[in-house]
Amino acid sequence: MLRMEIALFLVLAFVAFIYFSAEKKHTTLHRTFSVLLIVVLFHLVFDGITVYTVNHLETVPRLLNDAFHRLFIGTMILIFYLFYRYIAILVENETGKPDRLRLPARIYLVFAELGDMLLPIHYAVTPQGNYSDGIHVVFCYLSVAFYFLLGAGLLLKNLKDINKKARMAIGIACLVELIGTLLQGIHHTWLISGMGITLITLAFYLILENPDILRAELTEQKMSMLYLKSQVNPHFLYNTLDTIRIQAQLNGDGKVAELLMQLVDFFRMSIKVDRPMVTLDDEMELLEAYMELMCYRYPELRCECDIDPDLGGAQVPNFILQPIVENSLLHGLKNKGYRGEVKISAQRTPQGCMEICVRDSGSGFADGKKAEIDEMLRTYDRQAPKLTGNSIGVLNVQKRIKLLCGREYGLSYTENEAGGITAHILLPLEGETK
Amino acid sequence: MNNLRVLLVDDEIMIREGFKRLFDWAAHGCEVVGEAADGMEALARIDALNPDIVIMDINIPIMNGLKVIGLSRIKHPDTAFIIVSGYDDFSYCREALRLQITDYILKPVNYEEFGTCIDNLKISMFHRKNEQKAEPQEERTIVSVTRYMQEHLAEEISLSVLAEEFHLSPQYISQLFKSEIGVGFLSYLTSIRMEKAKKLLLSTALSIAEVSEQSGYGDYRVFTKTFKKSEGVTPSQYRRDFLEDSGKSKA
Repeated sequence: MLRMEIALFLVLAFVAFIYFSAEKKHTTLHRTFSVLLIVVLFHLVFDGITVYTVNHLETVPRLLNDAFHRLFIGTMILIFYLFYRYIAILVENETGKPDRLRLPARIYLVFAELGDMLLPIHYAVTPQGNYSDGIHVVFCYLSVAFYFLLGAGLLLKNLKDINKKARMAIGIACLVELIGTLLQGIHHTWLISGMGITLITLAFYLILENPDILRAELTEQKMSMLYLKSQVNPHFLYNTLDTIRIQAQLNGDGKVAELLMQLVDFFRMSIKVDRPMVTLDDEMELLEAYMELMCYRYPELRCECDIDPDLGGAQVPNFILQPIVENSLLHGLKNKGYRGEVKISAQRTPQGCMEICVRDSGSGFADGKKAEIDEMLRTYDRQAPKLTGNSIGVLNVQKRIKLLCGREYGLSYTENEAGGITAHILLPLEGETK
Repeated sequence: MNNLRVLLVDDEIMIREGFKRLFDWAAHGCEVVGEAADGMEALARIDALNPDIVIMDINIPIMNGLKVIGLSRIKHPDTAFIIVSGYDDFSYCREALRLQITDYILKPVNYEEFGTCIDNLKISMFHRKNEQKAEPQEERTIVSVTRYMQEHLAEEISLSVLAEEFHLSPQYISQLFKSEIGVGFLSYLTSIRMEKAKKLLLSTALSIAEVSEQSGYGDYRVFTKTFKKSEGVTPSQYRRDFLEDSGKSKA
């Protein structure tokens, strides 16, 4: 029997390792489960020791034997109390109704633990193996039955209000408690309490405390926070900006009014990022709004676009041009005091693809930088996504083009003879043939 | 030509003030005769004033703008409704089209473009009036001039070309447009060129450059820019939106 206890201990130790190393939310429910896991591990240790000592009554001193037995039963009662607490918290979370039996359950716990420590233990010796019986064990059965009834009562009372997963977990726990106790009651020598406890803990773990589910929940929570932070109601933004714009124009400040108009245009377009592919026209519109604002801020900056009008309907990955142009501005033209030109052109290549070029007259690549960028763009699939900083970055653009259009397309850079660099974006032209 | 009477409906006072003071109504032959800040008030004002044009916001208190239009439509079939809204939601647009509104403008309003919208409204009123007079007694000069323009859209048309064709002075023709239609010669020309371009975009498979040429624009860049300014979208977007939309309704 000792081997079973060791196996159970190893299984739960493994579960505990995964559970504690995973990222999770810190709620009462998860804290209770953490405590439960630790107590169960201790319990299995005492269980194993007791299985040994109870069968070696002659060699192990009586005092030691009693002490381990009391620890074994004591942790078991604590575990059943924790099972009940876990179920109660679960039901409380689902229904919002507070658990009124919390205090009685706690008082009974103190009572039961006192009983465990003080009541006399009697050992029954049989040819199949030894076990304890008498008042001490009856008391232990009573405790298990008490917490079982509380748990089952909670389940039945709130059956309709709790979700399927919680119902399943609580149901399994109650069923295992019932069957385990009955079997143990009939076959005293089986000593299967450890198995029952492990099964219930595993059920909770697999159904409710699975790290994958918890991580997904956590990620979702973080995402929605980010979403809320980034999304002021857009209509509030438009309307307020518009009111300011009209006031500016009424005050005779036409330039401010015009800029606000551009800003609203840019916002309006940039919130439409829910589609992976957009038309080149849409993409250019966003870019033009961005460039007009930048050109106003830096009057010596010029921007020129030359787009083949029949390519306007071609599908391109969303939001690829603005990051590239922003890159040209920040790394090329900024060093020249934003004096210079950005030229954006799009044309059909002889091979039937589309090539978009962003050519700037900036400072060009620093020594060695070209090779570094080429390498990064070539090994894009081995690069970790960079989420820091304010811009989406060229790596992200490269990744999305490769993902959405295919590996033969993508972004590359060349140096201009007259200074500055040109970004070449090669894209398929499927939208046209349809 | 009489001044067109305009009613402004928007719940924000600043927006109404902006419309009143920042757009040159007089230059476009219009006059603001009233304002309303909510749906009920708008309904009452439309009944009391019987305006030629109603500038309508959708999201207004008590009753939304589309509902107001729906209720007023029967009693005031000739009133032109121009929706000015911050929502470019497609369902709104569809509802608005069903109510036969004149135009749908997105906030923030560019007052220059708004002038184009008023001009187009006048031109369509002029065309409708001509169609109603079925019997061509003695055709008025302006009607012949506009017909000539319609028929020679792909060619170069200017005041001097027209002057030669009709043996009139360019100044006189220019005056004629102002007094008969209420818009300048160039606005009229641009407007009918855009109409032609839209027709070609939707009913033919011509390339943008070809559409541009047939609508009288030698340089497609100028055409694309003008189209964008007047319709809010580029020519290819316009064609695609329509095709997608009809695809959707077929499905």
